[in-house]
Amino acid sequence: MTLDGAAIERLYRSHGHVVLRRARALLGSEPDAQEALQEVFASLLRAPQSLRNAASVVGWLYQATTHFCLNLLRHQRTGARLLQARIAPAPAPGCRGEALAELRSVLSRLPAEVAAAAVYHHMDGMTHDEVAALLGCSRRKVGYLLERVQQSLARLERSA
Amino acid sequence: MTPSLADRTWNACFSALQLDRFLAREMTEGEAERLRVHVAGCARCTAVLEELRIASEERLPPLRVVPLAPRSRTLFPAAVAAAVGLAAAASLLLVVRPSTRLKGTGFALSMYVDHRGEVRRAGPGETVAPGDAVRFAVSAPVNAYVAVLSLDPMGRGSIYFPAGGRAEPVQAGDEVPLPLGTRLDETVGEERIVGLLCASAVELEPLRLQLEQGGPTIPEGCQVTRWSFVKR
Repeated sequence: MTLDGAAIERLYRSHGHVVLRRARALLGSEPDAQEALQEVFASLLRAPQSLRNAASVVGWLYQATTHFCLNLLRHQRTGARLLQARIAPAPAPGCRGEALAELRSVLSRLPAEVAAAAVYHHMDGMTHDEVAALLGCSRRKVGYLLERVQQSLARLERSA
Repeated sequence: MTPSLADRTWNACFSALQLDRFLAREMTEGEAERLRVHVAGCARCTAVLEELRIASEERLPPLRVVPLAPRSRTLFPAAVAAAVGLAAAASLLLVVRPSTRLKGTGFALSMYVDHRGEVRRAGPGETVAPGDAVRFAVSAPVNAYVAVLSLDPMGRGSIYFPAGGRAEPVQAGDEVPLPLGTRLDETVGEERIVGLLCASAVELEPLRLQLEQGGPTIPEGCQVTRWSFVKR
C-alpha cells in the first residue's frame, strides 16, 4: 500500500466516519470525538509506516481510535464523575445506551490492555478470536482479560 | 453485570468490525457473501448495518493537519505562481514577507500553498484562500530544531509545526520541507506567524501562551522570523 500524504487524506475521507463513530461512543463528548478523529489521522501522517503492515485498514483504525480514546479517558483525572457527566445523550449506532454507559464508566479505571479488550468485546461485539487478532494475543488471554473486566464491574456494582 | 454485557451493548450478530470491513469492501468475496446471506434474514443485523451505512455518509470536517504533495518544480514555476497570485480573489489571505532570512545565520523560512491541488511558493503579495493548505520549508546551514507558531485574528495562539509539544529537529539544507502542513481556517483579519530555529528542542506551549499575551520571549539559543498575514 502506498501511503503518501494524498493517500492518507483520501483514507480520511473514506474511513474517517469509522473513527468518529467509535470515538463518540467511547468518549461521549462530541468535541473530544472530533479531536480523536483529527489525532488518529495526524498520527498516521506522522508515522505512515504503522499502517503499511496492517492486515486490515479498518482494524488498524479500530486500534488507533481505541488507543487514543482510552488514553484520553485515563488522563481525564476527574474520573468517573467526569465520565458520567459526559455520557452522550444518544447511543452509537448498534449500541444500547444504558449498557454502553455502564461500560464507559469503568474504562478509565482498567489497565490499558484490559480496557481495550472490554471495548472490542462489549462495545464492538467482537468474538474472542477477533479481539485476539486485534490485540495480537491468544484467545486464552482474551478470556483472561475479559474476566478481569467482569471482576471490575462486579466490584463496582458492590460498591455502588 | 452481566454474564453477557456484550449481548446488551452490541445489537447485531456480526461485530462492528466485521460490518465496517464489509462496508469498506475489505472482506473476501466469500466472507462478504456469508454476511450478505445472514443479513438478508436477520432484522437486527439489517437495522444495524443500515445505521452504520447512514453514519458513513456523514460529511467530515477538513483534516486539520494536512499533507502537501512533494514540491515539484513543474507545479509552480515563477510565472505560474505570479499569475495565480494576480488572479486571486479579494477574500484571500495576503502574505506579507513570506520568506525572511535571519541576518548572519543563514536561516530562512519559506511557505508553500496548496490551493485546490495546485502547489506554489508564497511570494511577496501572495494571496491564499481560507481552506488552502500551507506548508513551511526551512533553509539552514546546520541541523536545527524548528517550530512555527501563529496568532490568529482572534488573538488565539496555535502551533503550526510540529504536532508535538517541542520544536523538532530539521536537517541542514536548502528549503527542507517540514513534514506536516496545516489547513487555513475561515477566520478573517490579520494573522501573525512566528518561526523559531533553535539549538535545542524548546518547549512550545509556554511560547504559544506568551504569543497570545504579546510575546513570545525568544528562548536562549533560538532565532526568530516573523510574518504578517492580512486577510482581505
